[in-house]
Amino acid sequence: MAPLNSLSKEYPLIDSNFQTFCASHAIYSVEDFLLHDLDALFASAANHSNSERLKQGIHQLLLIVDALHPPVLNGLQLIEDAKRNKHVFSTGCEGIDALLGGGLRVGQLTELVGPSSSGKTQVCLMSSSTVAKNKCSVIYLDTGNSFSPQRIAYFVGQSSDYVSVNQNILDRIICYPVFDVYQMFDLLHQLKINLRSQIVKSDHQVQVLIVDSISSLITPILRGNGPQGHALMISSGFLLKQLAHEHNIAVLVTNHVVGGDDGNPKPALGESWKSVPHVRLLLSRDCRSNVSNISIIKHPAMASGRSATSTRLFV
Amino acid sequence: MEIGMLPISASKRGKLLAAGYTTLHSILRTSTTHLARDIEVSESEALEILNFATRSSDLDKSSGSNANVIHGGQTAWDMLNEERFSSLITTSCLDLDNILGGGINCKEVTEIGGVPGIGKTQIGIQLAVNVQIPLDYGGLGGKAIYIDTEGSFMVERVLQIAEACIEDLSEYSHHFYKDNQAFGVKMHPNSILENIFYFRVCSYTEQIALVNYLDKFVTEHKDVKIIIIDSVTFHFRQDFDDMALRTRLLGEMSLKLMKLAKNFSLAVVMLNQVTTKHIEGSFQLTLALGDSWSHSCTNRIILYWNDDERHAYIDKSPSLKSASAPYSVTSRGIRNSTSSSKRIKMV
Repeated sequence: MAPLNSLSKEYPLIDSNFQTFCASHAIYSVEDFLLHDLDALFASAANHSNSERLKQGIHQLLLIVDALHPPVLNGLQLIEDAKRNKHVFSTGCEGIDALLGGGLRVGQLTELVGPSSSGKTQVCLMSSSTVAKNKCSVIYLDTGNSFSPQRIAYFVGQSSDYVSVNQNILDRIICYPVFDVYQMFDLLHQLKINLRSQIVKSDHQVQVLIVDSISSLITPILRGNGPQGHALMISSGFLLKQLAHEHNIAVLVTNHVVGGDDGNPKPALGESWKSVPHVRLLLSRDCRSNVSNISIIKHPAMASGRSATSTRLFV
Repeated sequence: MEIGMLPISASKRGKLLAAGYTTLHSILRTSTTHLARDIEVSESEALEILNFATRSSDLDKSSGSNANVIHGGQTAWDMLNEERFSSLITTSCLDLDNILGGGINCKEVTEIGGVPGIGKTQIGIQLAVNVQIPLDYGGLGGKAIYIDTEGSFMVERVLQIAEACIEDLSEYSHHFYKDNQAFGVKMHPNSILENIFYFRVCSYTEQIALVNYLDKFVTEHKDVKIIIIDSVTFHFRQDFDDMALRTRLLGEMSLKLMKLAKNFSLAVVMLNQVTTKHIEGSFQLTLALGDSWSHSCTNRIILYWNDDERHAYIDKSPSLKSASAPYSVTSRGIRNSTSSSKRIKMV
C-alpha cells in the first residue's frame, strides 16, 4: 500500500503535521490507516492543538478510499441496467443461439472449447459477420493468422441482397494480430481508455470482443518457474470481464483441449481458469463430416449437458 | 493491478508492490533515483522500469484520428482487398493447388504431416524452388529459408528439381510466346540454389535460438518469402523429460513463427511426423507433438497413402473446404498423379 507521504503532493491536507500525527499512532501507509480504529483516531485528533486540520486530513483520506471502490448497486438498478444495456447478440447459428438462450450476452464472457478443427474459429467468424450485419462493431484479436476476410464475406454475402452494402458491414469488424500476452494487455487497456473517454460515435460503438485464441497466448507463460503466468492469466480474465460489464461488451474467447487424466479431453488452462468465463461451450466434430456438436459445460441459466448440432459451420 | 501487466521480472514486481507502487501512475510520479532507492535496484534497472511504465501510459495520450481503430488493427474490408493481391506459392501439382485455392498462402503458417516416405521433404524442396519462379511467370521471385533438423536435405535432389522447374518454365514460355522471338528464361539452376538459405540445427535449443534469430535475418533479407522447417518435431520428441516445458517452448515458438508470417508477409511451412493416439478404443495416426501443438498452425494438410497412391487432405483451414487430392513424387519433383481417376474427391 502506498506510503502516506506519496499522497502529500496531491492532497495538501495530508501535510507533514498530519503525517507526524499518524506516525505517532504507528500509521505509515494507507494500509495501516485502514486497519486502525478510526474512532480512536478522531478522539486523539480532538486532543491536539490543530485538531480541525487533523480531522480534515482524516476525512480526506477516507474520501480518497471511498473514491476507489466501484459503485454499490441495488437489485432494481441492476435489472434496469440489464434491460437497457445488456443486449443479446445472435451468433448466426441457431443451434448455438438456442444453447446460449438467444446468443452472446453483453456483460458475459463466453468461452468456446474444442479440439483442433472443431469449428471454434468458424463460430467466431460467423458471430462477427452476424453482429456486423446488425450494425454493431466487432474487435477481433487473432493469434493464429486465422482471420479470413474471405470467409466473413461469404457469411455476410449469404443473406444480404446488395453487394455494395458489404463495405459498411466489413468496416465494422476490426482485426488485430496479437502474438503475445503483453500485446493483448496493451490493446485492451487502450480499448478501455477509448471507451472511457467516449470519443466514439454510437453506431461504431464496440459491442463484441473476440479473442481467438486466448489459450495460445497464455500457454507459453503458464507453469513457469513461478506463479507469474498464473497471475497474468487471472488478471486477463478479470480485465475481460471488467470490460464486458462496465462498457457493455459481449466477450467471446476460444480455448483448446488437452488430454485429461482418464484419457478424456478436458479444456486447457487448468482449474483456476474454469471459474473465469460465465458460459463455456464444448465443440466437437464428427470425424471428417460436416456436422459439429455443441454442448454446454457451464451456463448461469441453462442446464449443463444440453447439446445441439449444426451443419452450417463447415459448408 | 496494472503493475502486473508490465513485462518485468517477478522479483522486481514484488519489490515494487512491497514499496507501495501499485499503479503505473505512482511509478511515473517518482524519479529514477527515488525508485532505485525505494526498491533497492540499480539506477539502470529503475530507468528500464520507468521506460516500460512510460510506454504503457503513452497509450493514454495518443488519440488516433480514427478513434475506432487502435494502432495495429485493420478492418475486414481492407484485409479483403489486400487478399486479392496476396501471393500464393504453387506446389507444381495442379490438383493440390486447386484444393489449396491456388497454392500455399503467404502470411499463414501451414503444417504438413504424414508417415515417413510420403514425400514431406520432397514437397518442402519443391516449395523452396517454386517460390523463386519469377514474377513474369506468376511466381513470387523470392528466396527461401530451409531449416533442416533431420539432415534429409539432399542438394543433388534440389538441383534435379531446379533443373526440371526451369525446363517447365521455358516450355511454358515457348508455348505462350511462340509467335514472338525466343523469350529465354534467364534462370540457371545454380542461381536457384543460391537463393535457398540453408540452416542445419542439431538440438532443440538451436532450433529455438534460430527461430528467434530469424526476425533479424528476414529484416536483412527482405525478399525471403518462405520458411520451411523440416521437421519441426524431430528434436522435441526424443528424451524430453519435462512435458510442461515442451508445451511452453512449442507455444512460444509457434507464436514467433505466426508473427514472422504476418509481419513479413511470408509463408511458413512446418513439416511434422506422425504418432499413434488411443481414441475411442482404437489406435489412430495423428500428428506428433500433442494437442496443444495442433492449434499452432493456420492450415494443416495431412498426407496419406490410398492404395499405392499418395493423397493430401486438408485437415484444418479457416477458409478452405475439406478436400483431398492425389499427387505423385517424380524425378522432376511433385507433379499431378497419373492415375485414371483425375477428379478431386470432395469430402
